[in-house]
Amino acid sequence: MRCEQRGPRRYPKYMLPLLLIVAAIPDWVPARWHSADVKSLQLLNETPINCLLLERTEWSAGFAKAAKERGIATLGVVRPGADALEQARKPTTLGLDGVVLEGDFESSVVKALQDSKIPTIELPSRAGMRFSDTSTLVYGSHQGLWPGIQVEENGSAKSAPSGAPWIDTNTGFLRFVRAATDKPVWIANVPPANMVIPVQRYIQAIGDAAITGSHWVLALDGDFNKRLLAREPGALADWKRIGGALSFYESHKEWRSMHPHGQLALIQDADSGALLSGSVLDMIAVKNAPVQPVPTAKLKVEAMKDAKMAVDVDPQALSPAQKDVLKAFTRAGGTLLSAPPGWTFPMPKDGSITVAKDDFKKLDEIWKEVNGMVGHTNLGARLFNVSSMLSTLVAPAEGKQVVLQLVNYSDFPVESITAHVLGTYKHARLYVPGAEPKDLAVYEVEGGTGVDIDKLDVIGSIILE
Amino acid sequence: MTRRELMKTIAAAPLAGRLIMAEKTPAMPVSVASCPSYDGDLTGTLATMFDQLGGLGRVVKNKTVTIKVNLTGSPGLKFRGKPLGLTHYTHPKMAAATAYLLERSGARRVRFVESAWATAGPLEEYLLDSGWSLHTLFSASKIVEFENTNALGKGKRYSRFQVPGGGHIYPAFDLNHAYEDTDVFMSMAKLKNHATCGVTLSMKNCFGNTPASIYGDDAGEHEPNENPSQGRAAVCHEGKRQPAKSAPSELDPNSSRDPGYRMPRIVADLNAARPVDIALIDGIETIAGGEGPWIRGLRPVKPGVIIAGFNAVNTDTVATSVMGYDPRADKGKAPFTNCDNTLKLAEAMGLGSTDLSRIEVRGSRIADVQFKFSA
Repeated sequence: MRCEQRGPRRYPKYMLPLLLIVAAIPDWVPARWHSADVKSLQLLNETPINCLLLERTEWSAGFAKAAKERGIATLGVVRPGADALEQARKPTTLGLDGVVLEGDFESSVVKALQDSKIPTIELPSRAGMRFSDTSTLVYGSHQGLWPGIQVEENGSAKSAPSGAPWIDTNTGFLRFVRAATDKPVWIANVPPANMVIPVQRYIQAIGDAAITGSHWVLALDGDFNKRLLAREPGALADWKRIGGALSFYESHKEWRSMHPHGQLALIQDADSGALLSGSVLDMIAVKNAPVQPVPTAKLKVEAMKDAKMAVDVDPQALSPAQKDVLKAFTRAGGTLLSAPPGWTFPMPKDGSITVAKDDFKKLDEIWKEVNGMVGHTNLGARLFNVSSMLSTLVAPAEGKQVVLQLVNYSDFPVESITAHVLGTYKHARLYVPGAEPKDLAVYEVEGGTGVDIDKLDVIGSIILE
Repeated sequence: MTRRELMKTIAAAPLAGRLIMAEKTPAMPVSVASCPSYDGDLTGTLATMFDQLGGLGRVVKNKTVTIKVNLTGSPGLKFRGKPLGLTHYTHPKMAAATAYLLERSGARRVRFVESAWATAGPLEEYLLDSGWSLHTLFSASKIVEFENTNALGKGKRYSRFQVPGGGHIYPAFDLNHAYEDTDVFMSMAKLKNHATCGVTLSMKNCFGNTPASIYGDDAGEHEPNENPSQGRAAVCHEGKRQPAKSAPSELDPNSSRDPGYRMPRIVADLNAARPVDIALIDGIETIAGGEGPWIRGLRPVKPGVIIAGFNAVNTDTVATSVMGYDPRADKGKAPFTNCDNTLKLAEAMGLGSTDLSRIEVRGSRIADVQFKFSA
């Protein structure tokens, strides 16, 4: 038998940077950056930001070189247009590391860039996301809601029928995308124009994505950006808090790779509203009930192994084999709630990323059933006094640890939060940005472990072991 | 003669007789204490107050005490993000301190009740959603239990409470069993204004005794809806519909539909039907201008005062005065700008006197703790 001796794997010269970049992308902490001044890079020193999205006016060989020396990747942002391909080829000729296609492009543009081995990140509309394309480096969209509590014109919080304030969030969309792919997930919406944005709103946007294991591409409003570049003390103080929030999640990268933990599965797909905000996932999220999104394509026995309840939003979309999976699930004692025969998800017709107001009634038909089924059941964790908060419960594939990640969307800290987590845990520790971890007293509650949190500002996580 | 017997006698008497008897309505001592914060010795302050009233033990020893707290509106609605206990809800520390004192005074059981807004779910969960630590409450007292009185709850049937003298709006109310299965009934209220009734104190707190399953806007037409999800505006405030027919209907469906007419009368009727044995009003931190964050023009205030008594009308009279109002003001004068005066309606039913000259105030003087609620 001849033993073939192998040396180091050789790649065509042009492929090496691409492979390095692909390897680095999961660790990228992206931000839109509106300066080509090399000195502005100093502002990044105390943040984990290591990937800058630059508008065309900021493409500069000198800036790209200086950024690279600091270990910061630069990407040129290109938008659809007649000369899109030509524009998309320019950034790398100036030394930028790649290109971001923001918007919906002809597939020929994407293919041409891929053929040229130019690192390309697509941030299309939500509806334009192509989950079948496995060559995609990052899954994401430029469309998103600005996270926070909806406020009416008179300044008071808008109430949902439950009486709790309604939270605008991208978490439902992001949870679904995370479940649909193993690739990094970005959301690149920008702050609303003509609005004074307090720093906690930025931290909420960071947390909104981070608790799903995704990245919000940091984007500052014009006024903040201007004040920051001018090094105004107030802006620098806020920037430090933003950097602290980003560092908080980067110092716990392991949470990003953990999986949703809980006993409720939601079977849904892009065609049945999974890419919309305010959809069924967000409705469940507002109840702070842990939920595992199961994209229809991934509906297999393995996907349902931890579930005791399941909601199937679009039964007509299931293949016979998938229907068998759900039959086996119910035979094993699982509770399945299927959308009624003939019911279809009210998809918006205008490209909107939220359900149209006129369609709320239709969505309410299924929501009442879901709400009734979930009721007061603890499906992994139950949280109390959290009407302004959203949470995710995640766990590693192995081990007896769970992480409860929290975001408070109110402009005020929340006091006296209680969490009842299924299972017996001996230790609980609260992590918040800029403070030492704090041990929490654990106590026994029905079916699990209780912990109380005195106060939470904007973001925080509890590790239970 | 018991209080109920006295009320029945008064209600049955002709008007002239009533006026004379109104002077004989109960006038019991009321304790007033300055208490600037929930973080001080709340238990000690309350203990002193009840001692000033003759002691808790004589009232609660070996008894079941039911405490109606004030958790009005959804716990999801907060005023300026403040903890609910600092604005329009009963503060959990007030509840814990009282439960501790009751147990120490020999009470056999302390049952917290409230008709939780828009739900028939367990009250424990509603309290947790309101920022209460049940863990801490159980540490303060081992004899506490909970009942959501917004529906049938743990009972098998509703208890019917007749209004002595026949009532103004309803002749009787069907309430959760907890209001009957108790020896002592405490109203643990908040010192605050009310958009419809002017003030909401220990008597108005009892409006929440009514289960939304019967008096709610989504109550069944004939039978209670055991999964209520709405408030009581259509049935009680506005009289747009009747309660479930399983309960007594209105006496006069052609009477005024003005909430300012109806609500004070319903509150007086409820207090006559299920009298309060202990009234405790938390005015340490609260709101002025309305009863909850859904009312415009609210402001957070810190009167730093607690008021307690064994007669709800007397206690509310003192509390109204502490708020800077004339407790005997007629309709049209603050705080009863758009409504009848609940206190005087209750007084006319023989529940208690609103005459400050007849009510002995113990502890702090009203003038020393007065906090004007009018802006």
